[in-house]
Amino acid sequence: MTGLLIKDFKLLRIQKTFFLLIVFISVAQLAFSDDPTFVVGYMSFVMTLFTLSSISYDEFDNGNAFLFSLPITRRGYVREKYVFGIILGGGSWALSSIAVAISQLVKSNALTIDLFVAVFVILPLIIIVLAIMLPFQLKFGGEKGRIAIIGTVGIIFILCFLIAKIAQASNIDFIAFLNNLPTLGIGTLLFIVFILSTLLLLLSYKISVAIMNKKEF
Amino acid sequence: MLKIDHLKKNYNSFSLDCSLEVLPGCVTGLIGQNGAGKSTTFKAILGLISNDGGSVTLLGKDLGAINTKDKEKLGVVLSNSGFSGHLTIKDTIPILSHLFHHFDKDFFLEQAKKFGLPLSKEIKEFSTGMKAKLKVLVAISHGAKLLILDEPTAGLDVIARDELLGILRDFMERDENHAILISSHISSDLETLCDDLYMIHEGEIVFHEDTDVLLSDYALLKVTDEQFLSLDKQYVQRYKRESYGYRCLTNQRQYFVENYPKIAIEK
Repeated sequence: MTGLLIKDFKLLRIQKTFFLLIVFISVAQLAFSDDPTFVVGYMSFVMTLFTLSSISYDEFDNGNAFLFSLPITRRGYVREKYVFGIILGGGSWALSSIAVAISQLVKSNALTIDLFVAVFVILPLIIIVLAIMLPFQLKFGGEKGRIAIIGTVGIIFILCFLIAKIAQASNIDFIAFLNNLPTLGIGTLLFIVFILSTLLLLLSYKISVAIMNKKEF
Repeated sequence: MLKIDHLKKNYNSFSLDCSLEVLPGCVTGLIGQNGAGKSTTFKAILGLISNDGGSVTLLGKDLGAINTKDKEKLGVVLSNSGFSGHLTIKDTIPILSHLFHHFDKDFFLEQAKKFGLPLSKEIKEFSTGMKAKLKVLVAISHGAKLLILDEPTAGLDVIARDELLGILRDFMERDENHAILISSHISSDLETLCDDLYMIHEGEIVFHEDTDVLLSDYALLKVTDEQFLSLDKQYVQRYKRESYGYRCLTNQRQYFVENYPKIAIEK
């Protein structure tokens, strides 16, 4: 897996201009914006999306055929992509969080609980994004993958809308349920969301392995 | 080293049914037109595509039992695939050292220098010859026992082709148990290198012979209609109508040299 990780990090170099731009935007945001958490979300999500680019690079020019003739397994390849995604997403999340903390201290602003919550809530979101995007990218590849993701998000919206309508019709009070959630304590809630998103990532990994096992190069 | 027994793969307009064997110490050639099934055979051997039937035994193991350690013993060149063009040779070194336990960095660098391959240039900027040499260099730099080379000489000029065939001869000389399976649609590449040759046509092996026998006993007879009528057909394996009469393939060249001194015989 280390060999594949090295390959993906070497390929990231192609996007170095883009990275500089992201860093520039982030620094500008930190310096001039009142909402420092934007930087954490922005950096983490953009970096996470580079995992998808790495899959596109592998596919380009039929590169996968050669890649899979090397001593790697299909399962190992999938595992590497998930690890790469976690390193990129988690790493940029950690770095940008530290940058936010430093900027707050420099500006003599207090590090409030609200700030911590806003930063920590991004972590499970990154995991969910990875869990949804990776199987799609592996199954459909670059261009088709994007269309498939847009389609799926649409279907999820329609499903949510239908569930809400059905709930309304059956007199189930979601609002009351949501209002009761804060009684759990924000820390517990974040922990539950984190565990659930990790479980989703594990399920997504299993699906991705099944997708890769069926692929022909 | 490698034994393929009625390997089958079906596509909409193409069916493969291939059997061949590569023995230790031998270079086996697979020759055929574009689209004859060479690449499909190679992909099936490497597990890149699923098989619809038959069996592949690689390094003494069933294909399904091949693990990453076994794959380290293979050196692979695929005609239409390689490292990402955005990488440089320098980039590939740490990748290869982590993937192959026996990657010989010094040998790799020394050969890259010998072939004039630039270390810091992106591979996509390489010429066809440089790309081909790099692919073969990667295949022979990690202690492989069996090379599986799909069209390694495709698109190369004569000099580059000879250089590449030289690399392969060196590989064979390093260990008497080394073996190579190599495909090409250029027969002259293979006749100087291979110990035996298979010919594949429309997904099936139509011919197999030792190269020595092929070169000494086989010949093409070019005959007129009258000569064709009087020809002893028992040693004619195939014939084809031509504008001048017939072109016949035989595996008894000497017989025709002695008995039909007037007909044109091509080696």
